[in-house]
Formats: sequence, C-alpha cells, structure tokens
Amino acid sequence: MSIEIKNINKTFNKFDALKNVSLTVPDGQLVALLGPSGCGKTTLLRIVAGLEVADSGSILFHGEDATSQHVRDRRVGFVFQHYALFRHLTVFENVAFGLRVRPRKQRPSPTEIKKRVDDLLKLIQLQDLADRYPRQLSGGQRQRVALARALAVEPKVLLLDEPFGALDTKVRKELRRWLRRLHETMHITSVFVTHDQEEAMEVADLVVVMNEGRIEQVGTPDEIYENPVNPFVYQFIGHVNLFHGRLNTGQVRIGELDITLDPHTEVQMAPVVAYVRPHELEISRTSEDVAIAVTVSSIHLLGPMVHLELLPKDSSEVLEAELTKEHYRQLNLQKGDKVFVKPRKMRLFMGGK
Amino acid sequence: MTTPLNTHIQAATTEPRWIRYLLISLTLIFLTLFLLLPLIAVFTQALQEGINVYLTALIEPDALAAIRLTLITAIIAVPLNLFFGIAAAWAIAKFDFKGKSILLTLIDLPFAVSPVIAGLIFVLLFGLQGWLGPWLSAQNFQIIFAVPGIVLATVFITFPFVARELIPLLQAQGKEEEEAAIVLGANGWQTFWRITLPNMKWGLLYGVILCNARAMGEFGAVSVVSGHIRGLTNTMPLHVEILYNEYNFAAAFAVASLLALLALVTLILKTIVEWRVHQLS
Repeated sequence: MSIEIKNINKTFNKFDALKNVSLTVPDGQLVALLGPSGCGKTTLLRIVAGLEVADSGSILFHGEDATSQHVRDRRVGFVFQHYALFRHLTVFENVAFGLRVRPRKQRPSPTEIKKRVDDLLKLIQLQDLADRYPRQLSGGQRQRVALARALAVEPKVLLLDEPFGALDTKVRKELRRWLRRLHETMHITSVFVTHDQEEAMEVADLVVVMNEGRIEQVGTPDEIYENPVNPFVYQFIGHVNLFHGRLNTGQVRIGELDITLDPHTEVQMAPVVAYVRPHELEISRTSEDVAIAVTVSSIHLLGPMVHLELLPKDSSEVLEAELTKEHYRQLNLQKGDKVFVKPRKMRLFMGGK
Repeated sequence: MTTPLNTHIQAATTEPRWIRYLLISLTLIFLTLFLLLPLIAVFTQALQEGINVYLTALIEPDALAAIRLTLITAIIAVPLNLFFGIAAAWAIAKFDFKGKSILLTLIDLPFAVSPVIAGLIFVLLFGLQGWLGPWLSAQNFQIIFAVPGIVLATVFITFPFVARELIPLLQAQGKEEEEAAIVLGANGWQTFWRITLPNMKWGLLYGVILCNARAMGEFGAVSVVSGHIRGLTNTMPLHVEILYNEYNFAAAFAVASLLALLALVTLILKTIVEWRVHQLS
C-alpha cells in the first residue's frame, strides 16, 4: 500500500509546522522521516495517521483519497513515542484490544483472537510475559508490545513515532535490527520518525530529510550520504568541516589552497563554502602542493578509529579528522605535532558568509 | 534494607533527632486537642444517658425522617455530580477549547463562595419573591423550603469534588492512550468504557467518597433553603442543630455521632483507596 502526501500545510498558533510538503512512500518500503526536533516530522506522521488534520493538502492511500477519513477507518498501525500501552490491561489484552473493539460482525471468535495474539507474542518473543502489566516490563519489551498491538489489526501501513527514542543504546541497536528483519518478512509499508541519522541510515530503504517544515532531500541512505543536495543535509548527516572561500573564473581559493574547477568559469568572485567530512581529510607529515598546515590539538581514541582535532595556522576554526588506528600508528602522531592536511574530496556550495 | 552504615548516612541528610521528635509531638498534640478529643466527646455525650436514650433518639420519627432525607439527597446529588464531574474533567483534560480557564474557575466557585450565599442564590432564584418563584408557584411546584431546594443546594456545594479530583489525574495521563485506542479502531464509547474510565476509577472513587461526605454533612446552604420543617425538610445536620437548641443534648449528640461515624467510614475508605493507588503507581 503506497502513501501519497500532497501539498500538506499545517500551522499551529501562527507557527508553520509544515510548508507545502509532498512525498510519495512506495509500496512495501521502510521510510525514515529524519530531521532535528521541531522540523515537523512527527506532525507529518500524525497527519498521515489521521490524528492531526492538515490545514490544506491531501493524503492518498494506494491512490485513494483518505484525507477526510476518520482515524479508525484508515487502518493504520501507530506506535507512539512513549508506547501509550494501556496501563490497566495485561500484555495479552493490550495486543488483543484492536480485535476486541471490532463491530460484532467483523470480530474474530475468542479462540481466533487467542491464536492471533499468541502468534504475535511469539513474533515479539514475549509469549511468557502475556499476563504481565506494562509497568512490569522493560523499555524494550514495552516497545515490542506496542508494535505487536499495532500489527494485531493487520494495518495497511505502519507508522512509528521515534520508536527507539527512549531506549538505551544497546537495546536500541537490537530493536533496530529486529525491526529491519520484521519489515523484511512482513513487507508492510512503514514510516518512522527519528532525529538520529545513524538510525535512519541503518534501518530505512528511503530517507526523507526534513528541516523547518520542509523536505530537504529524499533518497536512499547512500544517496543522502554521498550526494547531499544542500549544506543543511550535509551538516545533518554526520560530522563535517567547513571551509569558506571564493570562486573566481573556475578557480576556488580557500585559505592557502587553490583548486581548479573546469566548469563555472563564468562565475566571478562568488563566496563558496566547501564541506569536507572528517574521514576525507588526509593527514601527512610532509607538505604537498595543496595542503593546509595544522597543529594537532587533541587526540581521541574511539575503538578502531582515531578522532583528531586540528588547529589550522591561520584560523581559529578547529578541523575534525578521522583516521584508522593503523594509519595513526604509522604517522606516530603526538599532541602538538605540526602536520599537513589535504581534502581527498570536498563538496562546494555557492553562497555562505 | 537498613544496615548500620545506611542509617549513619541517612542521619546526615535529615534534621537532628530532637527537631524531628518536637515536630512529631507538636502534630500529635494538635491532632488530639482539635480532632480526637471532640470525636470522643461526641460519642461520650451521645451515650451519657445510656444506650436506650441513644437508640430512642435515633429511631424517633423526626430523626428517621432526617436520616431518610439526608440519604435521598446524597443518592441524588452524588450520581449527578459523578456525571457532571466526569464530563467536566474529560472536557478540560482531553480537549482544547476557548474559555477552558473560565470553566476551571467556575468549577471552583462552590469552594470560593460561602455556603450561606450559595443557599441564598437559590432562594433568590426560586423563592416566592425570586425570579422564577411566581411561575413555579403557578405550576404548583415548590423548590425552596422543600426537598428539591435541598438537593439543588447540595449539588451546587458538592460539584467540585469529583471534577477537581479527576482533572489533574486525567491531565497527567494525557491523551495518548485514547489516541492509541482510536487508531486501533475503537469508537468514542468503547474508548471511554475500556480506557478512560478504568484509568480514572480510583481517582473517581476518591472523589465520590469526598463528595458523599460533604453531601451528607452540608449545613449552611441547606439550612438557608430548607425552612427547617420537622419531619419534612430537616436533614441530619439540621436536625442536630434543632435538638441542640432545645437543650436535648443526648439526642443531638446521638444523631451527631451518626455523622461522625460517617466521617470515620469515609476516612477509612479514603485510606484504602489511597493505598490502592499507591500500590498501582
């Protein structure tokens, strides 16, 4: 079941939460809405679910207009950020709820309900805890119950609001992988909201980067990482170093670096910003033709990687570099050493300060 | 778990022992003087002239009529305010609308207004000289100096109890569970009966207990609208006052002891409910 979002606008007390947002979620895909808090991603998710009404625009499920459909008729599964489990019901009854409230004619028989719920509990590996209450469960268990409850009504789409937000790192990683596997077996069109780029990159087929009520970029995790369309996306996906410079008749001058660009020869004296990821900075002991002289100001060892902070000679803006431990040993770096860095790859955006 | 080491550490973070004992004994003395002694006095006075006088005072027709009227009033007022209270709390906690704060203030009005004034409002509205009085008397329907007036005044006075108890509870619970129920296909009715009501049942019971205690014990407002007609419009508190004014102390305290018993039962129920709530959270 595909979801089409067309020209959605939403305003809360004069604050524009969503500005003319359009998006197509292809059938059977797992899509991440990624953005900083307050970018409108949760609002968009709630509008798709029908929990919030857009000021204008429309929502189509599989080509059918669902804009004015009531929440309970949309057949969506929704997993709330804080799970919203029914605190006075057991795990079993929580999962069974959606089946029990069906109109009598559509309601499965008690034995059928029991079987369906047991199957789901097996799926989330909580069959032994069926009689527990939500308050007796850990965060990760609650999350899985919330998911089973949403799946019990056989939704056409699954919507998850910050599904791993309130969990600790280890549980989060496990659940992420588990959700990915679940999606691979069920192939239900799913949209989840997150502010964690690593989470979006690892789990989703398609990442939608949002900022200030707009969609900045839609693409596969690889596309988003390799070809960010604008500085916001570049900065939001991973760490980045900024270099301010000028572009003049095909030549970019950044500090003491000169780089020749074949196109753009018609541009004269335009400010540009160059973005370089920490691992794209090459460090060497000896000066080369295009290199920046820096001083190593701090060294952090993070597992297999080494994180360096470098202070350029003629600037106060600290550069971040990342290299493997092996390479680090070869260079025999010490704090205070004078070395040279060269961007292996950089991306230029016109404008900037 | 308390180990010697633990108590030593705790001692550093609490007040010195003598201050704690001083505070505790001050509280105890205060409670004994102002609460426990009067309670004991009520029962000793009531039983002063023997158990027979005590029982006679309770089964005498006017006393029975007063007890009956008090029960009728509570039976009407408590369910009404249970209903109003849930409706008001539900509206305030789960929906956003204009004038919400005005509604909240209005709910508190009975707490802010002196009960005597509350009674007078009803006399002004429904009394013979009041706005609706002439019309009502033309319909041959009497409110003031009759049972309807007593019920109205009681409903007014006890209105905030259930609502005030539920609003903070519902606000703290938020509306996520209701949203979850609706997404799962439940209609409004099912959401209320299966989710909202079970979640607030202990708060609701607490509110009802307090509401009932006040409905049975209300004096001021009821006194203004009742007219003190013996055997007809006297509730228990009013009956106690009349007996007392007639220097019939044993009978007055006998009826009063019933009210005191009600208070004790209320307190016990309240404690049980509080304990249950504590267990759940």
